[in-house]
Amino acid sequence: MRRFLARWWGPCLLLLAWQVGVQASGVNQIVMPHPMAVIMDIASNPLVYGRAAARTLLVAVPGLTAGLAMGGMLALLCQFSAVMEYLLTPLAMMLSSIPVVAIIPVLSRLFGYHMTTLVVIVAIICFLPAFVYMHAGLRSVPAGSLDVFSVFGASARMRLLLLRLPASVPSCMTALRIAAPTAILASLTAEYLMQTGGLGALFRITTAEFRSERAFGCSLVAMVLSVCCFFVALHAERAVTRRWQ
Amino acid sequence: MKYVTRFRAAITATVGFAIVLVLWQVIGSAKLLGPTFPPPSSVIASLTVPYRRHLYIRASLATLSTAAWGYGIGQAGGLATALFGHLLPFSRAGLDRLASVIHAIPMIALGPLFMAVLSPAWAGTAIAAIGVFFVSYIAGCTAIESAAPTHRDLFQIFGASPLRRLWLLDVPSALPALVTGLRQAVPVAFLGTILGEWFGSAHGLGLLILSAMENFQIALLWSTVILCCGLSLVIFVLLGYVERIVGRHYR
Repeated sequence: MRRFLARWWGPCLLLLAWQVGVQASGVNQIVMPHPMAVIMDIASNPLVYGRAAARTLLVAVPGLTAGLAMGGMLALLCQFSAVMEYLLTPLAMMLSSIPVVAIIPVLSRLFGYHMTTLVVIVAIICFLPAFVYMHAGLRSVPAGSLDVFSVFGASARMRLLLLRLPASVPSCMTALRIAAPTAILASLTAEYLMQTGGLGALFRITTAEFRSERAFGCSLVAMVLSVCCFFVALHAERAVTRRWQ
Repeated sequence: MKYVTRFRAAITATVGFAIVLVLWQVIGSAKLLGPTFPPPSSVIASLTVPYRRHLYIRASLATLSTAAWGYGIGQAGGLATALFGHLLPFSRAGLDRLASVIHAIPMIALGPLFMAVLSPAWAGTAIAAIGVFFVSYIAGCTAIESAAPTHRDLFQIFGASPLRRLWLLDVPSALPALVTGLRQAVPVAFLGTILGEWFGSAHGLGLLILSAMENFQIALLWSTVILCCGLSLVIFVLLGYVERIVGRHYR
């Protein structure tokens, strides 16, 4: 219990502040529902929330996977061709300096309002951290190891298979950790804008209808989902990195 | 040798960029990807058309001021929290956990909350501040611990007062990490502002993007998104120069 409190006092404090704040200020339930009312709404309509959350996950997980695969593939391509490297590195630098999620409206108009569009959008947005980290990972070989490989006359393919790919595993896990919450954010935002189902669409509709318990419930479920994804990815990263070193 | 490589990289990047632009122009004007993929020429035309200049300037100023408030509040909060965690080590584990929870919360899910608590005009500022807070907290934690322990020992041995050590050692060695945090928070502040503006703000680039998207004004949509990304890019690059100068002086 003490260990739990030492780590989680922050979110607990926020929840307490919410309850106290609502009671002290006496605002209308429509404006700002009680945390208990929101939790009751979630508990009594598990199917509504569950279905929406499942739909969001159905977008986020394939999108994340595709984005990571795409980023990894392009990072590998950079290993083989200097031209690709010179072309892609400035692009990646540019993408990291702009608010990428803000281009979702453009992408949604471009690909049309379908479920696949959502997956494509999430993949494009997750591609960036994947590319940056895997690109760095493929180059983070131990000092001197490249010399050892060339002394023993290893081919480029051997060098890639036996040295660069294993060396990049921890960076791949970092990319996963960075991209996991981003995938949830991107799919929520795309759903919010395109209203194609999922938690994002549900909380846009309920906000517009002033059903604020449902809207706050959607927010809360989305937050918990995202935080869970982040911590799963974080623990996976730690486990893999520990075993790898 | 290094300059030659850098030169080649710059040439290739420029050529690549030009190829992309030409391809974009060809595909866009032939409408190969449909009407929602305009050629760059029509995006630029939409961006420079005189009767929209006033609209763009007003929207940009609104977004910039919202983002600047969020940026300032987030940076101040993040750095203060990092300092707090440094001074009171027992709170550090909880603060780290809180920061990563805040980081993992999808920004857009905060919309209804801030719409209820604050006025719509401040929702963007608040969301931006939350996003910036995490970046700045991480940068602050790195910055505080970046003075080398041996240097600290040296100051201790020569009997420097804590204030003197702070001014002569801790602050200068913290500067590079702080400026990195300043730079990395820029796109986050823009993103938070745009998301906030999608929740019923009365002005700003976010509103322009949303209404252009819903009214199928494709050229306006593209040009506004490019304007927004351009603003973020310019500030990011400028801070990158500051970072390089600071790094050269204090590292």
